[in-house]
Amino acid sequence: MTELVLQNVSLRFGGLIALDDISFTVSPGSLHALIGPNGAGKSSCFNVISGLYRPTAGTVRLGVQDLLRLAPHRVARLGIGRAFQNTALSPHSTVLDNVLLGRHALTRGGFLAGGLRLTSRQERLHAARAREICDFLGIGASVDRPLGALPYGVAKLADIARALATEPSLLLLDEPAAGLNTDETAELAAMIGQIRTDLDIAVLLVEHDMELVMGIADQVTVLDFGRVIADGTPADVQTDPDVVKAYLGVTT
Amino acid sequence: MTTFLQLMVNGLGKGAVFALLALGFVVIYKATEVVNFAHGSLVLFGGYLVLVTKDHIGWAAAAIIGILSAGLLALAVERLLLARSRHADPFSLALLTIGVDVIITEEIIRRLGVSVPFIGDAWDAKPIQLGGITLFRTHLVALLVATVLITAFFLASRYTNWGIAMRAQAENREAAALVGIRSSRVTASAWLLAGLLAGIAVLFIATQDFSGAGLSRGTHSIALAAFPAAILGGLDSTVGAIVGGVAVGLVDALSTYYVSFAFAKSAVFLVMLVVLVVRPAGLFGTRETTRV
Amino acid sequence: MSRLAWIPVGIVLLLLPLYLEAPWLKAGQYMMIGAVGAIGLTLLTGQAGQLSLAHGFFLLVGATSYTVLAGPKGDHLGLGLDPLISLVGAVAISALAGMAFAPVAGRVRGIYLGVASLSLVFLGLYLGQAAESLTGGTSTGRDPATFKLFGFPFSNEGDLVVAGVPIRGTERIWYLFLALLALAYWLARGAVRTRIGRAWRAVRDNEAAAAAMGVDVRRTKASVFAVSSAYAGLAGVMTVLWFDILKPDESEYGTYGVNTSIAFLAMVIIGGLGSVGGAVIGALVVFGLPQVLTLYSTDLGWFTGSVTPVLVSSFVYGAAIVLVVLFEPGGLAAVGPRVKHRIRELRS
Repeated sequence: MTELVLQNVSLRFGGLIALDDISFTVSPGSLHALIGPNGAGKSSCFNVISGLYRPTAGTVRLGVQDLLRLAPHRVARLGIGRAFQNTALSPHSTVLDNVLLGRHALTRGGFLAGGLRLTSRQERLHAARAREICDFLGIGASVDRPLGALPYGVAKLADIARALATEPSLLLLDEPAAGLNTDETAELAAMIGQIRTDLDIAVLLVEHDMELVMGIADQVTVLDFGRVIADGTPADVQTDPDVVKAYLGVTT
Repeated sequence: MTTFLQLMVNGLGKGAVFALLALGFVVIYKATEVVNFAHGSLVLFGGYLVLVTKDHIGWAAAAIIGILSAGLLALAVERLLLARSRHADPFSLALLTIGVDVIITEEIIRRLGVSVPFIGDAWDAKPIQLGGITLFRTHLVALLVATVLITAFFLASRYTNWGIAMRAQAENREAAALVGIRSSRVTASAWLLAGLLAGIAVLFIATQDFSGAGLSRGTHSIALAAFPAAILGGLDSTVGAIVGGVAVGLVDALSTYYVSFAFAKSAVFLVMLVVLVVRPAGLFGTRETTRV
Repeated sequence: MSRLAWIPVGIVLLLLPLYLEAPWLKAGQYMMIGAVGAIGLTLLTGQAGQLSLAHGFFLLVGATSYTVLAGPKGDHLGLGLDPLISLVGAVAISALAGMAFAPVAGRVRGIYLGVASLSLVFLGLYLGQAAESLTGGTSTGRDPATFKLFGFPFSNEGDLVVAGVPIRGTERIWYLFLALLALAYWLARGAVRTRIGRAWRAVRDNEAAAAAMGVDVRRTKASVFAVSSAYAGLAGVMTVLWFDILKPDESEYGTYGVNTSIAFLAMVIIGGLGSVGGAVIGALVVFGLPQVLTLYSTDLGWFTGSVTPVLVSSFVYGAAIVLVVLFEPGGLAAVGPRVKHRIRELRS
């Protein structure tokens, strides 16, 4: 993967400033956390990276590629996978069906090819890969069950599995621990670590759970009211007076 | 020039009626996010009750009965059907109203049989000549009634508790419920209002002046034109409904004269299509923002 | 349904023309027209979540295209092409017409799209009346060319006898429609299980998430509109062959009008949104009921005066829509599995 660089990004909705001159860099293979209080602009930042929001100013680049010129599906095809805060899966479909959606850009065939069963070999191969990814995340036993019938923790992992199924070089995780209990959160932390080391995928993580973030991240960027107030290693950030005031001070 | 002026006057008169229909439509949509496909059947129902009662109790009393009946029918549809399926999403509920529309419309058309009766108001088919322009009294009355009702609606929505509750619910359902607004009452009142407006609109539609045709399946399809009116203006904008209604009236009048009667029906829908391509949420509607 | 269960169903459908009288076969053919159209609409509305009231319009596009492509040169515009090529051409033209709607379909969502699509029905009404050289006009209409497959006519021409039963036009059309329906069903079932089906459902459930997975949302919507229109176009070709005339509507309530669009929507809702099998069941109810009631009308003696089979059927499907939305959002397609589930529960 190449670097993801956000430079002087600002985003306004009418009079509301969601992002104010944000800059940070996600290095290849790193585990980068984006933290901050509610409404600090973390999700907006993700939406800018994935092309859903167009910033009012600034640049977003992946290597030499200017992401702001691309439609969201093109951004995804460059190797940026994304898991959502509210999972955004299809509840009536099976886990496998949901995860297979991640293979969309890696496969071919429209209505006629599918209807005439010309893609059955391709379908089999990619289903096998999707099962492999589900096994890796520990939800292999649930692949053939409809998503709506499964516990929230499994749905969260299915969402991550779907993002991994796009074979990304950078994975965006939007509050993966939200709604999980302490044990599940610990398992998740281990899982994210494995994704980075075993699969060699850089991870950009938005998270509230400070323990999770400080335990696994290499780099932490702190947002408050749409601005970057600190950027550094977990140790640096934890002792930064601005951060303590704006965020950590509030929670402790 | 006189012709053009004449067309504008006709268009405004018709537009006033479309505005009333579109307003009802938009009020329901704002309160519940449901698109009411049964609007045409409410129009027919109101008109039918005027028809069967007017010979017994006189036109004015019949008109009131018709208006109230259309309102009560709308209320009944909401209370007995839509309110019972709380878990159904607005999309499914819109489909449900299609079912309701089919049943009510088919029954009224059956009762009407082959007759296409005018619902005979006091001012129909007695045009006034004014400096080369023919003024249809139905259009004038419609314009007057619509102006009064629409003004009343905007005043009510600004200054009464009902109006504030309605706007709060349109803005944010959950927040409105948290501050103690009873969502079911707001919803029911929206349907009632829409029904009443439909009942008023039909008094003008099934006339010689407006369509040259009495109560029939054609009345239902005229009411369908409230769709483009509401969509053109923006489904969640009451101002849009008024502008959309007038626009549809004008397009109808102009295209009937300059192209053909057959084309006029398509023309209003084509204008709506063009507007939607340029502004997907209509002229005054708010754009849906992506939230993930 | 399991693969084995299809064998008896197939055998029965193939043998029916040997036993049924022509009016019953006509009724069955009409249901098959409904089924083909409804499969197309369930892909669009059920699988991809795009409401359409334009199905009647695309029926008209298919019907007119076939008649023009296969029609003889004469009073009306006709290209005199081979009927099979004309059928394929008509389906392709319908798909293109659906694709042409893409600028609207790509921008406008859900209910807005449903109302926007209504405009096509009105456009069709106008064009059907105005373009007499294509459609024959509302007063006389226009005769479609007899369908022929490699020279074999689907009419009463020529003698063909199977098991003592003469296989004439009605029987031949039955087999033609059966083949078309089987193909339409098989293609749709295959497609929904593969890549394109997943993309449709993703667009329906969450456009932002679909895009984040690499799905081109606009293109996917355009493609599903094209597919759905192609199905409607095929149903339109079947419609002219069934009536043996192309006759444009005089009002928006006709063969290709608003009511037809709503009838197709009813089939799809009653069958269960998105279910290909359900669409076929829905067609049996919505298009089958008026036909069957008409055939039984003298025996039943219900239909006097203004109460007609069509009216009763409208009541039934209107009520069915309401009941399905209120009580069984999965439609009739969900009833089978639910009953099975209940029986299993009761046993254990």
